Amino acid sequence: MAKIKPPRMKIDRKITPDKIFKVKVRFEHPSFTGLGQVDTETMPAFNRAVPVSFMRNMLVYYGDDLVSRFSMTSAIADSPLFAFKLKATKEAPVKVVFVDNAGERWETSKDVKFS
Amino acid sequence: MKTVPPVNLLAALFAALLASASASAEVSVEAFEIEGLISPASPKALTAELEAALEVRVVDLNLKNTESGWPVLSVEFDSGKVSADDIAKAISGIEDPAGHKYQVHTGPPVSNAEYSDEEIAAMAKLGPPPPAIVPLTNPNQPTAESIAQGKILFDGYCTTCHGLDGGGQGPAAHGITTFPRQLWVWNNAPESADGYLFWFITNGRNEMPPWGVILSESERWDVINYIKTLEKP
Repeated sequence: MAKIKPPRMKIDRKITPDKIFKVKVRFEHPSFTGLGQVDTETMPAFNRAVPVSFMRNMLVYYGDDLVSRFSMTSAIADSPLFAFKLKATKEAPVKVVFVDNAGERWETSKDVKFS
Repeated sequence: MKTVPPVNLLAALFAALLASASASAEVSVEAFEIEGLISPASPKALTAELEAALEVRVVDLNLKNTESGWPVLSVEFDSGKVSADDIAKAISGIEDPAGHKYQVHTGPPVSNAEYSDEEIAAMAKLGPPPPAIVPLTNPNQPTAESIAQGKILFDGYCTTCHGLDGGGQGPAAHGITTFPRQLWVWNNAPESADGYLFWFITNGRNEMPPWGVILSESERWDVINYIKTLEKP
């Protein structure tokens, strides 16, 4: 199973007040439904194969405010890249928190500074 | 006094030893839930290597319909020679042809940790979790009439996306970001699936509209009866 690496975030270099800026977050985390196809004779052809593993929630904070929640299932890709836009309303950190189905938590953040 | 020839004495001793050994041998059968059975080659590899590693016999490998959903391996062994722990250790030392390690599964069937306070606060602020789907029983028996009625409704409302055969390749499917479900997977589905199907048809999800506002309750149950007759093309 793939290794988990801490999430990384990139934001636009030039951020203007009250304008939109882009945030990209990459998190190397495996995603697996836990199902395997062992018996090909009968339907349904899947059985539990390994423990399920996926990111359950992604929470986006801008300053102290929770601005978005991504609710995910085991259908999410391995090591996904998330890209979304925020309106630059203040100079404050953007923080992204991930929680997986085992309850483990990771976070990454970047400071928003107006240019 | 009659003397016993030494050769006969040895044979008698050997027979006695054998008898005592067979008397102390206690054959047990233990079931192990197995992780790592991931490909069609896995069961053969696991069975062969386990029997080669220990003096045991694999009685059964149940891949389907187990209580927890995990495949169950039943192993017969002499408890005087081998323990269940030895078997669990041997299983975790075996690697299948795809490179996965096997392991005896312990713990709950599916790991889904309790929501943290942070997640609960976030879900309270930005949308509730998906609603619980209530188990329901189909009040319409799957009679020929109900299925025929379901087919008429299915052809009229569902085929645009799900296709005539329920394969998810209707004419509108190419423009939908979430690919329509292949409905033949519900062929002969058990009664326990009724609540789930009814909830989805009634409420819809993503691009699927909530048919509860268009079809009556009885019509939705007829559609479910028809979906259960769809066969894989």
